[in-house]
Amino acid sequence: MSARTFAISIFVLLAGCAHSSLVLLPDEDGGHGQVAILESAGKANDTIVGEANSRTALGGSKPAVRPLGANGLKPAEASLVSELPPPAKSFTLYFLQGTTEMTPESMPVLEELRSEIAKRPGAEVQVTGHTDTVGSDADNDALSQNRAEEILNLLASKGFDRSIMSAVGRGERELKDPTADNVSDPVNRRVEVIVR
Amino acid sequence: MVRASLLLVSSIALIASSASAEIARIKAASGPAIVERGAARLPAATGQSLLAGDWLVTGKDGRISLSFIDNTRFAVGPNSRVAVSKFEYDRTRQQGSFVTQVDRGSLAVVSGKIAKSGRDAMQVRTPNSLLGVRGTRFIVEVPK
Repeated sequence: MSARTFAISIFVLLAGCAHSSLVLLPDEDGGHGQVAILESAGKANDTIVGEANSRTALGGSKPAVRPLGANGLKPAEASLVSELPPPAKSFTLYFLQGTTEMTPESMPVLEELRSEIAKRPGAEVQVTGHTDTVGSDADNDALSQNRAEEILNLLASKGFDRSIMSAVGRGERELKDPTADNVSDPVNRRVEVIVR
Repeated sequence: MVRASLLLVSSIALIASSASAEIARIKAASGPAIVERGAARLPAATGQSLLAGDWLVTGKDGRISLSFIDNTRFAVGPNSRVAVSKFEYDRTRQQGSFVTQVDRGSLAVVSGKIAKSGRDAMQVRTPNSLLGVRGTRFIVEVPK
């Protein structure tokens, strides 16, 4: 092999050895976040990729961020993005205080929930209890967990598949109606069912 | 006493959730696609649940899409090897840490609650880099 063909084959080898890359996309709601390159080629790095619709070659010491340009995503990338599962959907149920009897307004929500689960192959359902701000955080964590388990059982008795459901208590961390501490509030005492 | 038993209940719940609890569920799969769990090779069927440490492996034309319990979503492309090396999530506080390793292939991600729970709480490792996810939608590609 001559020096020249050797040089050419090295060039072909290098060109064929494509680098890892990062493509940052806009979020589904139109904004976009950032990805930090914390390490590159075994060394600490501090590049922040913050431009949506950009491509960054990974593995160098100074990763260059380039816009995707007019051509946009490669076809394989576009199809990968289109295969992402749909975002989770949330349904809120209200009950008559201290009972497992649903309010009349919540009855139709149950049917929406049923049809949403049916639309999603491999669905997984999180039954989430929320309390108002009366009582301690620890008590509300326990109360909301018990409530979630109670409603999970109720849903199972109404034909929802128990094997795809789990119960989570969020206590008073996620108030629907922001109130001061120790305020009794029926809007905050709710069960949120998240379908993924 | 009430407080002590509550603490006990919550620590038991925490242990149960970290040991072998479901972290994600497969929503769709096609072509050659499996889940490697230790020595076991499970078909990547719709509805299959994942545990921390699982590998998602696809061959030519293989694809897997899945949603995690913190609302993170993945689409794994063909000829890929992707591991969920670490997934710890407190569902009550919505905090945790999540490390994904992409050895080869392609992975599209929409991050969820864990990425929002702390700076670089969600990380993606490729053979030549480590990424900190700060709440976003992105693709990582690692050619062979």
